[in-house]
This record gives sequence, C-alpha cells and structure tokens, in this order.
Amino acid sequence: MTAPLIAFDKVWKTYGEGEARVDALAGVDFSISPGEFVAIMGPSGSGKSTAMNIIGCLDTPTGGVYRFAGVDAGRLDRGRRAILRNLYIGFVFQGYNLLPRTTAIENVELPLVYRGVPARKRRELAYAALAQVGLQGREDHTPAELSGGQQQRVAIARAIVSTPMLLLADEPTGNLDTQRSHEIMELLQTLNRERGLTIAMVTHEADIAGFASRTVRFVDGHVASDSALSEAA
Amino acid sequence: MFAETVLLAFLSIRRNKMRSFLTLLGIVIGVAAVIAMITIGAGTTTKVKQDIGKLGSNLLIVRSGTPPSPGQSGTPARAMTDREARALKNGLPDARSVAAQSQKAMTVVFGTESIVAQVVGADADYFDARDWVMSTGRPFGEAEERSGLSLCAIGETVRKQFFGGDDGLGANIRVGKTPCRVIGVLEAKGTSSFGQDQDATVIMPLTAFQRRISGSSDVDTIFVAGGEGGVMADLQNAAEDILRDVRHVRPTEDDDFNVRDMTQIADAMASTTKVMSGMLGAVAAVSLLVGGIGIMNIMLVSVTERTREIGIRLAIGAQERHILVQFLVEATVLSALGGVAGVGLGLFLSWLASYFTGIPFEPDISTVALAVGFSAVIGMVFGFFPALRGARLDPIDALRHE
Repeated sequence: MTAPLIAFDKVWKTYGEGEARVDALAGVDFSISPGEFVAIMGPSGSGKSTAMNIIGCLDTPTGGVYRFAGVDAGRLDRGRRAILRNLYIGFVFQGYNLLPRTTAIENVELPLVYRGVPARKRRELAYAALAQVGLQGREDHTPAELSGGQQQRVAIARAIVSTPMLLLADEPTGNLDTQRSHEIMELLQTLNRERGLTIAMVTHEADIAGFASRTVRFVDGHVASDSALSEAA
Repeated sequence: MFAETVLLAFLSIRRNKMRSFLTLLGIVIGVAAVIAMITIGAGTTTKVKQDIGKLGSNLLIVRSGTPPSPGQSGTPARAMTDREARALKNGLPDARSVAAQSQKAMTVVFGTESIVAQVVGADADYFDARDWVMSTGRPFGEAEERSGLSLCAIGETVRKQFFGGDDGLGANIRVGKTPCRVIGVLEAKGTSSFGQDQDATVIMPLTAFQRRISGSSDVDTIFVAGGEGGVMADLQNAAEDILRDVRHVRPTEDDDFNVRDMTQIADAMASTTKVMSGMLGAVAAVSLLVGGIGIMNIMLVSVTERTREIGIRLAIGAQERHILVQFLVEATVLSALGGVAGVGLGLFLSWLASYFTGIPFEPDISTVALAVGFSAVIGMVFGFFPALRGARLDPIDALRHE
C-alpha cells in the first residue's frame, strides 16, 4: 500500500471554551491515498467543512496530527502553509471565486504569479490549462461574460495550472443546474483518471458523490461511514 | 513581480475611477497648496529684494526718533533740519553723496489736469543718492537749490498725465499754490513693493519746498550714499557719532534718531516674507496630512470591499507580504499620482498669481521633488495600516465574506 497523501490521526478541532465549547471534529481518523477521488458528505455542522479547511491547510487542528504528503501540516506557520497550498493544492469553490473584472487567462495565471513563474511561461501554462477544461477562445473573457459552468471551468483550470498533488473541491456544483453539474463532474473524473490527480470533494448531493470512487460521511464530528472500509469488510 | 504589482495598482485605481479621483483630490489640493505657497513666497522674497534694491544700494537712511523695534514703532523726537544734513555732508568725506529730503502728498495741477503726487523737496545730491536718472532735461544744481528757485523734475506718471506724448520741459505746473517750472523728466521706476507708484512724484529744490510749501526748515529724511568700496558699517557708525554731536545727545542718553542700512532693511523684509511663506507652507502641509488620512480611509474601504479577493489570493498561495505590498503599492501610487497632479496645479496657480501681480515666477525643482516624494511617503504611511489589515485576514473568513 502506498503512503497516504492525506492522513488524519485523531484530529480534533474545537471552537470556544467551557459551556460554549464546540467540537467540530472529535478525534477523526481517516486517510486519502494518491490517485483517489473522494467525496466527503454529511449534514451541515457535521464537521465536513472544517475537515476540508484542514485538508486544504487553510486551518490547523487543535488536537491530533494532520499530515499532508507526510508533512505535519498542523504545525506549519501561516507563511509555510501558504507555500504548501501554492505548490501542492488546487482549490475549486462553490461560488467559483474568480477575481472580478479580470480575464480568464489572468485568473488562471494567479497561482503561478505567487510562485514567481516568468510571465511568458505563465501564459503558456494558463493557455494549456484552459484548453484542458475546454475553454479555448474564452481566454480574454471576464467572469461576468461567462456562464456559471464556464466560470467553474476557469476555476478548475486555475486549480490545475500549477499541477498540484491534490484538488480540493468545495461543493463545486452547488450553483449549477443538473446538466452543467454532470459536465463539471465528468471533467473532474477525467482529470482524476487521466492525470492521476487526487481529488477531495465536499458535497451533499448523492448523485454528485456518485462520480467519486469513494465516499466518506461525516456526522457530529466523526467519520460515520467510509465506502472504502465497508467494501473491504 | 514589482512591475506587475505597480500595474495591478494602476488597474485597481482605474477600476474605481470616481473613488480614486476623490481620494486623489485631497492629496492634489494639499500638494498644490504647498507648491503654490512656496513658489509664490520665493517670488515675493525676490520681488522685495529687487524693489529695495531699486531704492538704491549702499544707502543709509537717517530719520529722527528712536529706531523702531519689533512690535513697536519708534518714539518720535525733534525733527531734523538742514543743520544735520550739513554736518553729515562735512563730516563724511567718504560718502558719495548726502541728501536731505522732505516730502508731502499734494495735488499738482497743469491746465485742467490734476494729479496727487508725492512732492519731494530735496538737495541736488538727492538724484544721485536715490539713483534717479533723467530721461530728458536735467536735474537742478546746488546753486539753483540754494537760491530757492521754484524748479522741478517730474516723474513719468505725472508727465504722462499732463503732457501726453510731450516732454513738458519749460512748462509751468502748480504744486499746491506754488508755480514751478519743469526742467527735467525722471526715468520710470515702476511700482514699489508697497504698491506705491514711485513715478507719481515731483522733485523740487529743498529750499523752495521749505519756504513755499512746508513752511519750516524741518527735514524728514537724510540719505547717505556710500562710496565705492566703503564699509557701510563704518559709515553708519561715523554718521551716528556726528548726529549725537550735532543733536547734543548726552552720552547716557539713547539716540533720538535712527540710521538704517538699506541692505539691512532689505534682508529683514526678505526674511520676513520667507517666514510668512514658510508658515503658509506649513499650514498647507497640514492639508496634505488630511489628504493622507483620506487615503487611509479609502484604503480601509478598499480592503473591506475586496476581502473576498484577498481570501482567494491567500487560498491559492499568496504570502502576507504579497497582499501587504499590493495594497501598499496601490496607496503609494494613488498618492504619488495626486502629488504629480498637485505639483501641476500648484505651479499653474503660482504662475497665474505671478502673471497677475508681477511677482517673479520661480519654480524650485527641489520643492517639487520634495512634494511628490512626501506625498508618496504619506501614501505609504497611511496605506500601511489598511494593507496590514488586509494581509492579516484569515483566508477562511475572507472567503466566506459577502
């Protein structure tokens, strides 16, 4: 068995103190191996978003150990986590989160700007990434000139332009109709199969989760079920 | 990377044209005020120096009364007479000329025309001491002065009023009730820094003036012009000794007269105008500070408005310093733009002022550079806090921000 890319070892995330204390994650154990496509499900307040933020190195656990590619990411400072995100993690959000009044190509280039890639090389990579998500010819459109599905494709291009180890998708189809949702999911599937890109995706729609190869369900800060474990059993 | 950040700042400024313009306005007005005040101030200083130079250089001015001290005019004392003038003339062989003068503003009439002019009764030496040059005709001589003849030299303004294109030599004008023959016309000197037309003047022999117009032998002022290469301070001391002697001032008493060096007066006036323009500049600098606070305000708004953008940038791997630099550069570019526009406006205003008042237009490169630099620094200082606030945002909260 290969070493996991994502490894939660009794991870706790606690907000507040005393009476107001809330355990968003209460000793979560689970891992994701390279090349997996995992759907993370659960009702709101189940801790799935908190887990997502920790996986994405946006947040740190208050207890336990979170390892990203073997690195104890929970102990890294803000700056180092930013570098980790920049180099190894691509983000896709529900609300697309593209920079407004900025062209598609410039949006896609953004992670490379912070990586210090020279302008010419950046443009080249960004063109390739946009082509991969099927947006040739739309490079100079601003988000306002693109449909929701197209905006999400730009966001995916931005996430993969830096050839990350992990793509994190937070309800990537939450703002899209069924047909567009399925198109986006097929795109993610293709990226997972053809490039071996590891994908972790939060969703609360069962049919969307069905595109993933594994489903992890969170309830009350615990992993309630994991399809990988039940299959093995 | 830095060039890109600057470009990004320009784009962001252009995106919010109206807001950027209003923010700029504070800096523009501040810088324009500073530039205008300093430029006009420098011009005024030069003008004052020039004007006083016109009164004659190397000149001592002797008047009765104790010298005026700051905030206090001198105490009046016995008027001076011909006696003092004669004593100075005899006692100061080094002086180029010594001239006594009395004057009075009077209506001067020729035919149906009349004009109010400074009527000056003076020694023959007066023309030399005050650097008056004849454009036509001649000045009166010493013999003519002593004889009490009623002759006069007229200023350019008077000549124009009475004779138009003609020189007016030989004509009889009336000074008050006294008829007076014109023998010379003075070359124009223009307006003094006190706004007085120096050419609205009639100069006549002192004897005639005392007998026919003032009716006393009093003298207002004695001018002592220094010779070539003479030390003015020595001349001043000598003049003071003579005057104490003639006016019987006891050794324990203070002078009841004052001798002042024209260059001292010029310097004093120039430094006064300098202080004034410096103070006005300081007041203007306060408005620049207010402009800086405007920048801080708008940058805070900008950071809040773009919280989500900051969140996106942080999520995809921007470091704190990237965000900090981005907003800092934006604030600096904004205020430097304001500084450049302010310099333009300030120079234009001071040019306008010089065009209408005749004050020399003296733009100063170092002031301009300083103002632009200072406004950029203001942007940096007042932009720092908002930029830091943006950079310290938590990416999760920032992304959730609506």
